[in-house]
Amino acid sequence: MVNENLVKDVVKEPYKYGFVTDIETEKIEKGLNEDIIKLISHKKEEPKFLLDFRLKAFKKWQKMKEPDWAALGYKKIDYQDIIYYSAPKQKEKISSLDEVDPKLLETFDKLGIPLTEQKKLTNVAVDAVFDSVSIATTFREELAEHGVIFCSISEAVKNYGDLIEKYLGTVVPASDNYFAALNSAVFSDGSFVYIPKGVTCPMDLSSYFRINSGDSGQFERTLIIAEESSSVSYLEGCTAPMFDTNTLHAAVVELIALDDASIKYSTVQNWYAGDEEGIGGIFNFVTKRGKCLGKRSKISWSQVETGSAITWKYPSCLLLGEESVGEFYSVALTNNLQQADTGTKMIHIGPKTKSTIVSKGISAGNSKNSYRGLVKMGTKATGSRNYSQCDSMLIGDQASANTFPYIKSQQPNSEIEHEASTCRISEDQLFYLQSRGIEFEEAVSMMVSGFCRDVFNQLPMEFAAEADKLLALKLEGSVG
Amino acid sequence: MEIIEKIKPNKSDDNLTEIQKICLQKLQSSPLPNPKSELWRLSNKSKLSTFLGYSVNEKDSKFDLPYPKNSQSTIRLIIGENCQIKLIEKNYSIQQLSEDELQKYIKEQVSLFKQNENWSDLLNLSLSCKNNILGLKINGSKIPPIEIFSHASSNTLNAKTLVIFFEKNCDVDLLQVNLGKENSSLSQSTFFFLKENSSVNHGVVSYGENRSNLLNSLNVIQQKNSAYNLGSLHFKFNYARFEISIKQSAGNAKTNIKGMQITKKDEQISTYTKIEFNGPNGFLDQINKSLADDKSHAIFEGSIIVPKIAQRTDASQLSRNLLLSNLAQIDTKPQLEIIADDVKCKHGATISQLNEEELFYMRTRGITLTEASKLQLSSYFQEIISFIPISKDKWDLLDKLLNEN
Repeated sequence: MVNENLVKDVVKEPYKYGFVTDIETEKIEKGLNEDIIKLISHKKEEPKFLLDFRLKAFKKWQKMKEPDWAALGYKKIDYQDIIYYSAPKQKEKISSLDEVDPKLLETFDKLGIPLTEQKKLTNVAVDAVFDSVSIATTFREELAEHGVIFCSISEAVKNYGDLIEKYLGTVVPASDNYFAALNSAVFSDGSFVYIPKGVTCPMDLSSYFRINSGDSGQFERTLIIAEESSSVSYLEGCTAPMFDTNTLHAAVVELIALDDASIKYSTVQNWYAGDEEGIGGIFNFVTKRGKCLGKRSKISWSQVETGSAITWKYPSCLLLGEESVGEFYSVALTNNLQQADTGTKMIHIGPKTKSTIVSKGISAGNSKNSYRGLVKMGTKATGSRNYSQCDSMLIGDQASANTFPYIKSQQPNSEIEHEASTCRISEDQLFYLQSRGIEFEEAVSMMVSGFCRDVFNQLPMEFAAEADKLLALKLEGSVG
Repeated sequence: MEIIEKIKPNKSDDNLTEIQKICLQKLQSSPLPNPKSELWRLSNKSKLSTFLGYSVNEKDSKFDLPYPKNSQSTIRLIIGENCQIKLIEKNYSIQQLSEDELQKYIKEQVSLFKQNENWSDLLNLSLSCKNNILGLKINGSKIPPIEIFSHASSNTLNAKTLVIFFEKNCDVDLLQVNLGKENSSLSQSTFFFLKENSSVNHGVVSYGENRSNLLNSLNVIQQKNSAYNLGSLHFKFNYARFEISIKQSAGNAKTNIKGMQITKKDEQISTYTKIEFNGPNGFLDQINKSLADDKSHAIFEGSIIVPKIAQRTDASQLSRNLLLSNLAQIDTKPQLEIIADDVKCKHGATISQLNEEELFYMRTRGITLTEASKLQLSSYFQEIISFIPISKDKWDLLDKLLNEN
């Protein structure tokens, strides 16, 4: 017989990234209005087209209503009570990593993302974002040799303005949804990646997002462009300190893949989730979308979502190019009073497009974990295929697992298959493992890990290890 | 407001029954369903207004029973005509519900209604006059099969209501036939209350003629150890909605649902199901099939709700869809909402066209493409049709469907 409490203990694990870095920061006043937007734009020395883009988005945002269809119960967000720009104070221009405030480097060291020359991860280029600004990007020269551009979006605005003007907002228009409009108006930093024609990016690229101050929101924007026959693997990680207030994180990610290009985008999201009573934690409202513009292009999303008090996130693929491929692999783990509403949208527009969805949800404690997805076959999507699989695992009888797949087809010559199941940790399997001398805690961990295997296999090497560790962290603990 | 005016002009408040008054009051603040809500979002607004466009008809014109003619072994009832019924035999009895019982039960149900979720029922009960409500109490076993007809006359909007209590240990086969005439609207609401250990095989066959419309709502409450099997078929309606709500009030009950909807031309037919388990050990097996051709639109939305109390629920839901034309569309949305942890729940959905490999195989054996498609369709239909009680021997539904194609 499984002892319910034991399982609960196993999934209870304190948050390890909850420390605050004591650093002098430059903040602007709270509130959101046109002047604030102008101020952010001015601080970042942006060209006029970007300021216009921001102001237009802000006008649209003012007319929009916060979406409530996900039925997530959270405290109303006061958008005037948020600081929209916060940056650690440092020298105006940094020529090398040595000039970065050591406290910042130490912070990222503590998070397991060493940035300094001696320690930096081999074969992964990192762009580290601290509150509203990007503080360092590693391996830039090596990447530049291959023609790959990897920098913060603020730098890209200055140096590659034409590319930004051409692509920004083409995948996720400012009016797409409430949070995308907000982000378009106030986005502070994020990463920009450009892979030129025919180049396979020589190393994995990675962004690490860290929220440090409790009263500022983080609004980053990522834009990745993969030219013809290029390919890139991009990783994203996030953590935040423990505050008893809620912090808003509203990001937008846009991916563009041209003919024969491929983009693999992986996320390990571990924002602070709030305490056991549901106090504090990040509100994570993210719009991620990829456009497979070219023929035979491919966009693959994989995500491990373990943090945030509220997760509202639907990484999507617009499959326009003939024979383009969209993939979505997701593990979402919720505990205590966390709520995750996540899934994907696969919009098949071009002919012979293919998509695969594998979603694994694990809910424990009093949490709520929903899969919400859309698969749509447009009238021109002849010979297209979709396969979706959504599995949920429930731990304890207080957690809820919901599945809301939405399927629409307007093309007879296409096939859609969807399946979903719900289960719990099987007592037989636990008993079997325990009878072979495996500790209870390890047995649960093994079973959860096995449940997620299909998704972990899709993560890049460096990340798979981190994800496994993260899940183990959440699942290991003091079993009495 | 139109709806409210529609019911009221000929009547003063005094002529309305108490239930009509309660339902009208519930509709007063927002007489039409919210087009943005998930349940009505895909519903064709102009078709719904056509549905409501006809004048309300309370007295039916003489209704000729369609083929097949009555045979002695079935009991046939027509809502609106057979209002007096009392059959007491050795093994069974079929009686009318007393006015009190009927009122009490409907009132109880209405009190739980929400404007948006139960709009079809509220409309039905506001329109349904006393003559068009049939309330029955069925008891016993070895009951001859029962057929109940509902119909709409041309150029009118008709509302019919059926309430049946299936008493303890009752075992019965019942076929409900909804017929739409040319340019007509039928609002049919059905309330079933299955008491302990009862077993009901329920068939619903709805077919219309040119441009007929239907709002068909079915509310079932199942007590412990009851078994409810539903086989349904909807076709030939310009606009039809079939809303099913089943509650296993204390779990420990079995529900089997096999439904099918077939749309052609510019028709829109939708099925919405909501299955709630309010106790442990519930069982559900549901399959819904759609076939959409020409410019038509078929919709399925099914939700399964398993609260904490419903441990050891075993529920599965499958939505299978055939899309046969470039201009047709299919929407399907199976949903699971689960809180109990010791459950087995699964759902699946597929949308495709006829299987090409199977067609090819048959053609290599000398069967023409038309014949091969027909064979495939007949196997697709057969699974549902064979589940509809009574129909299999008498109604030749398969022929009807295949010849229509």
